[in-house]
Amino acid sequence: MGADTRVGRNSSNAGADPFELFNIGRLKLGWIAGVVFCLALIFVGIVSFIQQEKYGDIVTGMRTPGYGGVGWGLYVVFIIYFIGVSFAGITISALTRIFGMEELKPLTRPAEILTIVSLLLGAMSVLADQGRVLYALFNLPRYARVMSPMFGTFTMVISCYLFASLVYFYLSSRADAWFMTQRSRGVLKIFYKIWAFGFSGKPDDYLRHHISSFWLAIFILPILVTASSTLGFIFGIQAGRPGWFSALQAPGFVVMAVISGTGFLIIIAWFLRKFYKLENVITEKSFRTLGTMLMIFTITYIYFMVVEELTANYAAPRKDREVAHAIVFGPYAIPFWLSVVCLFSSFVMLFYQFVSGKTFIWINLLSGLLVNVSAILRRFLIVVPSQTHGLYLPYPTGEYHITLVEIGIIAGLCGLGILLYLFFVKIFPILPLDTVGVREKVGEGKITRTEVRSTLLLRRIFFSLTLLVGFALMIIGFLASARVGTKPYLDPPIPFAPVVFILGVMLSFVSAVVYEVFPGKYRANER
Amino acid sequence: MADEIERKRMEESKEQITNESKETKEGRREFLKFFAFAGILGGLSSIVSQLLAFVSKNGKENEDEANKKSVREKQKYKWGMVIDLDLCTGCGACVVACKIENNIPITGYSEEDRGTEIEWMSLIPAGEDKEFLMPIPCLHCDNPPCTKVCPVGATYINEEGLVAQIWDRCIGCRYCQVACPYQRRFFNWKKPDWPETYLQWLNPDVATRPKGVVEKCTFCSHRIRKVRERAKDEGREIKDEELVRLPACAEACPTGAITFGNLADPESTVSQLASSPRAFRLAEHLGTEPKVIYLAKEKRKFISREE
Repeated sequence: MGADTRVGRNSSNAGADPFELFNIGRLKLGWIAGVVFCLALIFVGIVSFIQQEKYGDIVTGMRTPGYGGVGWGLYVVFIIYFIGVSFAGITISALTRIFGMEELKPLTRPAEILTIVSLLLGAMSVLADQGRVLYALFNLPRYARVMSPMFGTFTMVISCYLFASLVYFYLSSRADAWFMTQRSRGVLKIFYKIWAFGFSGKPDDYLRHHISSFWLAIFILPILVTASSTLGFIFGIQAGRPGWFSALQAPGFVVMAVISGTGFLIIIAWFLRKFYKLENVITEKSFRTLGTMLMIFTITYIYFMVVEELTANYAAPRKDREVAHAIVFGPYAIPFWLSVVCLFSSFVMLFYQFVSGKTFIWINLLSGLLVNVSAILRRFLIVVPSQTHGLYLPYPTGEYHITLVEIGIIAGLCGLGILLYLFFVKIFPILPLDTVGVREKVGEGKITRTEVRSTLLLRRIFFSLTLLVGFALMIIGFLASARVGTKPYLDPPIPFAPVVFILGVMLSFVSAVVYEVFPGKYRANER
Repeated sequence: MADEIERKRMEESKEQITNESKETKEGRREFLKFFAFAGILGGLSSIVSQLLAFVSKNGKENEDEANKKSVREKQKYKWGMVIDLDLCTGCGACVVACKIENNIPITGYSEEDRGTEIEWMSLIPAGEDKEFLMPIPCLHCDNPPCTKVCPVGATYINEEGLVAQIWDRCIGCRYCQVACPYQRRFFNWKKPDWPETYLQWLNPDVATRPKGVVEKCTFCSHRIRKVRERAKDEGREIKDEELVRLPACAEACPTGAITFGNLADPESTVSQLASSPRAFRLAEHLGTEPKVIYLAKEKRKFISREE
């Protein structure tokens, strides 16, 4: 991608009205139809959830394991799926930010929104899985244990990761919000003004954001690997469940998260390109890069899968082998081979695109869809078979029939996700305006002013203070949630220790906001 | 100790408040920022000092913990059970007795109710052609996989080796149920229900459980408590004969196949039965160290196939 294309890209949209380009604040029939559809899905979800709360989890297809059922079903599958999809956002942003992949830059914002929305859905499907939702909401902040991968780290990780993504998104969108204040009137103007708080479009504002977003990206990357790894540990540490106990779970979950996230982003990119006619912004090269990324991770996962199935089917302990046989040849053969076909065919197509040197957008779109289907199927094949087959002691094998209530709740969540996305599109430019060419390129101007020393000093002091206090709270909260200094199974030594930990993480990330948003006084540079 | 920390914290916060108010009275506007900064620094230092105090206290508590551990090794009671499969006729009296004793709801026969039954004590068909039944309560492992995974600490193993469940704290995530290699944990899939005439027979010693929580065998801990209190009143130790048929299942067993008692006492009936050459524990390779020991001569090989 040379400079020429970028100039071409800019000139085509230069001076265009962002409101017109993205239909912001303007309702069209298609959009309204989409919202109505989502609302219908949400209604179905709410009705299903009320059923479940009223009659108990008997309305789901889950039953006691060993007594003919499974203890975890579709909800857990989708917890993993949603959190996996969230991987895309920060990965893409970090790739563009750290490795400077220009062609993915337009997709950073759609990807960040995808992360935030899917994390919300992940957290909500966690709640849907609980037998007592209100108790979960009250007892988790009070008693959450680090030692349990399910919540101790898991909810904490969701909340930290979600907050970190929100901070990242907020900071990276301020420049556009500032730009929008100049083009808008009335309520919208006030809204954008609050959003852009303190941003004045001067080169030093950009520079400051440049620094903070780089460090944020560096800090968020390990959080996101941890998030997916803890999901893997939920299963990986269960010695009592044949087929689960494996060190491969954590890396497998991380790789599958990248696959489903990238696949989902390709689908979103395709829709954006089509609806907003942005062929010159979301270029073929953008798709090609995402496709190549998807190809590499897909073959990695296929390798993991082959290794796992070979080991488990050939020489595993008897009960592990029983589970593996059930998956490959037994009652789970259909979802298993379907997932294999999905993964393998998308790899073959993407590989063809890679070697042919051409770009086929439909191949990327189809692969994106197929890998997401296989992501759901693979998660199902991890969660369910180990509970129905290969049980220790002579228990009968179980079955799992998904009920309409479970499907209804998941559909409601999906509806909510799409609705949030649709709403966002109507209030804010979905692509960064500089990549579309509406706003000027970032950070190319000469720095014309310097901050006076007193506010610069205060900015630095407040930034370091929030960061330090955040870190301190984080460590104290973590140790207390890990029950250091008390019996491992009872209350944390500090009340609400998990909340302290989460506050600590939030504060640490807020330090980036403080650094950028702290109001300063400036004087012009001497020429 | 917690009170002490609380008091210190109160005093510190009081000091902070008075300091701040003095400062603001005196202070001029330009210095306001500076004082705010100082206040934050003060807060930070108090946090650090508390952290230090906390860490030093931890050290002490760890010593205590170590002492307690050595006590636990020499602990007085370690509840365990021996089930003699050669004596068991599979009559199911233990299952029924357990259900009545512990207020376990009655499940219907409808298709929807399949797999929602709760049986702290179960009979599972075993053998080549499923020709004999095997009674199985919670095995009260010494190294339980279920307590490790509870996100809120609603289940734990107590000093006497009982794997306990705090129903009121349970949020119903079913992680423990999924983690138990022996499938001995039960989730209340629906609101517990009894026919009206049964309600008057509910055991007042045991709480009923709401829908959405996980429950399990307690080794009839309420009966253990009663025996302990009686012994304390009479100023003597708990006798072995009081324990042998203590839990409802053991009491109901017509052939006396179930024996309960103190595994920490080498003279007790359970300990002696547990050292029988017929003794084995279920799925021992998992390292869970169950405290329910089975006795069987011929039936052992059928069970070991499924471990």
